[in-house]
Amino acid sequence: MKTGKLLSAVLAAIMSVSTMGLLTGCGGSDSGSSAAPSGNGGAESKAGSSEAAEPSGEKVTLEVLTNRTDRVQDGSLDKLTDPFEEANNCEIKYVAYEDYAGSVSTRMGTDDYGDVLCIPDDVALADLKNFFEPFGTYDDISAKYRWADAKMDADKNVYGISTGGNAVGILYNKKVWSDAGITAMPKTPDEFITDLKQIKEKTEAIPLYTEYAAADWTLNQWGNLVNSASGNPNYENDILEKKLDLFAKDGGYYQTYKLMFDIFSTPGILEEDHANTDWESSKVWFGEGKIATLVMGSWAISQFQENAGDNVADIGYMPAPFTAADGKQYAETSSDFCMGVSKHSKNVDLAKKFVEWFASESGFAQKEGMIGSALNSQMPDNLSAFQDTVTFSKTSAPDNLIGKWDEIDKESGVGIWDGSNDNFKLKMAEAAFAGKGESEFEAIIKEANEKWAAARDKILGK
Amino acid sequence: MKTKRKHAPFKKWIKTYEGQKFYISVLFLLIPVLLLAVFTFVPAVNMIVYSFQDRDKYGANVSWVGIQNYKTIFTDTSILSTFKNSLYYLCGSFIQQVIALLVASILCSKIRAKGLFKGILFFPYLMNGVAVSIIFKKFFVKGERGIVPEGTLNSVLSVFGIEPIKWISAESPLLANICLVFVSIWRYVGFDIIMYIGAINSISPDLYEAADLDGANPWQRFKYIVFPSIKPIISLQLILAVKGAISVFEIPYIITGGTMNTSTFVIDTINTAFSKNKVGLASAMAVILLVIIIIVTLLQKYFFREDGSKLRQRRKTREGKR
Repeated sequence: MKTGKLLSAVLAAIMSVSTMGLLTGCGGSDSGSSAAPSGNGGAESKAGSSEAAEPSGEKVTLEVLTNRTDRVQDGSLDKLTDPFEEANNCEIKYVAYEDYAGSVSTRMGTDDYGDVLCIPDDVALADLKNFFEPFGTYDDISAKYRWADAKMDADKNVYGISTGGNAVGILYNKKVWSDAGITAMPKTPDEFITDLKQIKEKTEAIPLYTEYAAADWTLNQWGNLVNSASGNPNYENDILEKKLDLFAKDGGYYQTYKLMFDIFSTPGILEEDHANTDWESSKVWFGEGKIATLVMGSWAISQFQENAGDNVADIGYMPAPFTAADGKQYAETSSDFCMGVSKHSKNVDLAKKFVEWFASESGFAQKEGMIGSALNSQMPDNLSAFQDTVTFSKTSAPDNLIGKWDEIDKESGVGIWDGSNDNFKLKMAEAAFAGKGESEFEAIIKEANEKWAAARDKILGK
Repeated sequence: MKTKRKHAPFKKWIKTYEGQKFYISVLFLLIPVLLLAVFTFVPAVNMIVYSFQDRDKYGANVSWVGIQNYKTIFTDTSILSTFKNSLYYLCGSFIQQVIALLVASILCSKIRAKGLFKGILFFPYLMNGVAVSIIFKKFFVKGERGIVPEGTLNSVLSVFGIEPIKWISAESPLLANICLVFVSIWRYVGFDIIMYIGAINSISPDLYEAADLDGANPWQRFKYIVFPSIKPIISLQLILAVKGAISVFEIPYIITGGTMNTSTFVIDTINTAFSKNKVGLASAMAVILLVIIIIVTLLQKYFFREDGSKLRQRRKTREGKR
């Protein structure tokens, strides 16, 4: 009898303990995905020994977090990395996340967020030093790499090196556009809308696909056109320094979003059901010529080419249809994700070496049709339509304004890169879909202007 | 001495049946309580703490702002105004109660294959909310010439010669919200039906017999026997409906993502935290939702305690008579 009671007590105790074990086990594997434990184990055993490659012993494992689920799944990233792994006797373990920013922000709440990771864009520049190792000062890095200021804090320390960049423009199906009888690329918003109407008349394709079901990120693609529309590398700094309205007429923001509003208000040139657009399927439809135009960053080009089958040559990319006052067309080039090295990495030097190798020698950017981040790299072929345009990358902010743009954006709640339901972009789009006129557009930009001005005056002083 | 004297009875007590029962149940309770603490209480306390802070997703540069977040919620009209979409769901839940009551009354009468109908009607409630939402996302699709075929609803309507309708659109937020409310009703009505069937079945058959003898028609039977007997269940359902309407989330989140003026307070809270990166403000919003839910729950408890005490009183008087 007594043993029976004892047994049940022990059983209960074991169960509660094992549940706890299960819990902590869960927590560990959850934050580390599959790679973390092995990555840490390898790193720890290596920590004591020297940096140079060991003949025997365990290999160092670097855990690299990336947004490219597709490239991890098809193994091309692993293949790409083989030379680096051999040269440095290490192992690079890629961990990809579908919802990159969301998953990584959770991991960054702990100390375990890989050795190398693409820096999520919503980490405030001022906070970079809490999470990442600096690569050097702006002057050092900008001598070798493009977009060195993308992840730079107010002390001009650079925490991330770009994995490649994009010229900004609009994706179009060459065959559909020529079938519609369009010979010259549009240079102004009016020409662009006229062309879309012509496509509607002469072809079966949807002239412009909004991708509105994924509005939280697809509408942001319009925002990429802003600097190109302004034709001014210093546009953002000017807005702050000269205290311009965010949507000042003839500025980049006004022109870009006016174009979006006008297109979305024009009946017939969009898909019918905006609530049910489908991003993955649209890649196939685009190749088949069922969609004529999409506003997307050039990062999307390679994805659409992959899904185009035999029609790869039809996928074209054109500059934003804006002509500046000087009669030229401009296109901004901007950085894709930047890679940084975790502050908590056990192999900081090797990790930095990897980031620099990835940016300059890996050939990743070329393969993806992006502009390489090394200064001496060539423009990729698929941007040939940009021959007549002037490309520029935006000037970095002057010392007193570094990080202020994002700060004002967050404080004001305008949300230039935010895709919430009450964001100005979504309000504009829905006003346009509902056929509300110009006055609604003006009301939306007036509200945004006021919010922006109030936050700017609060942060920069009157 | 004192402690020893106290200690000894405890040692004895723990060996008794009562004592054994006590510590075994404590040990077993440890597991669920631990799970509850780790996944509910600790995050909830954290959330309340966060609501007094200005913080982002990464928890860097946290600063204390006092009740500023709560001030923002009550002064910035755009935040609380999303509760207006909850009204659609509240209206919907009244319709839901009527349908449920009607179907339950039918299922309680003498018909064939009662169990089968019960099963079919209850099935949507068993399905995962995400699955239901995805099904209805396809259900409401407006087709695209040459690319997307018409959705289920439009295909069925076309059989009757009705032109395809754009169900979820910015032109008509009313229609879009009605569609979503319909999905909500479809999913939850089965649960209500089962509740009502249970309530109706618990009515003594003697009453029906007596009513039949007096020549009551079905409507009179419902009005004077069924309705008064299931009143407590109806009021419970209505309170649950209020709770549901305030905290509706997955159906609009998956079908529209909150676009086309179909956003709800919970969707806005999530966007505030993870899209606008204002975790402090979002926590405050969540706390406010929590407070509202607690108030509604307390109201519910209050009403039902009344009923309970009345019942007890009645029983007492009955016993007294005996």
